[in-house]
Amino acid sequence: MLRDLAMVLGVTATLVLHPLHTTLTQLEYRAADETVRVTVRAFADDFTAAAGGAADSVAARYLRSMVTLTGRDDRRLPLAWCGVRQTGDLLWLCLQAPAPGGLAGIRIEARQLFERYSDQINIVQANYAGRDVSLLFVRGDAARALP
Amino acid sequence: MNQLRTFVELGFRHITDLGALDHILFLLALAAIYRPVDWRRALWVISAFTVGHSITLALAVTGLLALPTPVIEFLIPVTIVATCVENLVMRERARPPWGGGGRYRPMLAGVFGLVHGAGFANYLNALFVAPIAVPLFGFNVGIELGQLVVLSLAAAALAVVDGLLRGLLPRIGGNTVSPLRVRVALVSTIVLVVAAHWAVERTPW
Repeated sequence: MLRDLAMVLGVTATLVLHPLHTTLTQLEYRAADETVRVTVRAFADDFTAAAGGAADSVAARYLRSMVTLTGRDDRRLPLAWCGVRQTGDLLWLCLQAPAPGGLAGIRIEARQLFERYSDQINIVQANYAGRDVSLLFVRGDAARALP
Repeated sequence: MNQLRTFVELGFRHITDLGALDHILFLLALAAIYRPVDWRRALWVISAFTVGHSITLALAVTGLLALPTPVIEFLIPVTIVATCVENLVMRERARPPWGGGGRYRPMLAGVFGLVHGAGFANYLNALFVAPIAVPLFGFNVGIELGQLVVLSLAAAALAVVDGLLRGLLPRIGGNTVSPLRVRVALVSTIVLVVAAHWAVERTPW
């Protein structure tokens, strides 16, 4: 009986250990060189565990497999790694790609950490052509086009 | 507009997700003493909680208030324990136990809401980027909508418990015991045990 109670308490305790699994992905269009910079903010412990390590190459490989941008011609934009920095618990991970013609019509998918947490939410904010667009991705969501 | 919608959805998902079970149990503890006819009182208390968590959330994400995460994570279950103890101990709620006049429960919920708001902020600081007004407003609206859903479900669950107790109590010789009193004791004790376990686990010292 006491063991059962302890098990129930243990399960409920793990439910609240890390109550909000969220990342923020920001897309910034740079008109001067027609590129898009993708910055992903994620909790370092979550991201490192999901990527399978803390090395840049590991983080880059994981992120490029989870964040995809598809152009209006249905071709994937080649996302290049542009580094990572850490502030406190947060990682700021950077990718960039050429985006001739701007971001309108480009489809984005942000699946990072979905395989790890069923309640993972990834928010994407895009800033281009004088507009701010926000998208919210949960597990199972397909790619979505920027208006 | 779509930024507002995104953060409303984030707030709603946060409060209705089992991952935020501590906030859900706090709402359940607050609601445990009310009958359907008391819905106005329940609404006052929940609104006070919303005001409280909105204040600290706003202060924290604007950088005006910095609170240590381990202490907040510890204080959240403490607020649940305190609410359950209040449910179990207090019989007369028209006057505060420390004297004076007026109902004190909305004030209690508001103060405890300050702690929960700091808890939300710990996870959202990472997401709010300037300008924060729209995301902050949207998140609070989402939390409020989510709370209404949680409360509706809690009210339905408590009504089922009341029905079971009304049928069960006379059979076990409990004719003189109020089903509401038994319900309050039952729900509060269960929630208290779970929250006390969290508090012990999260003790920061």
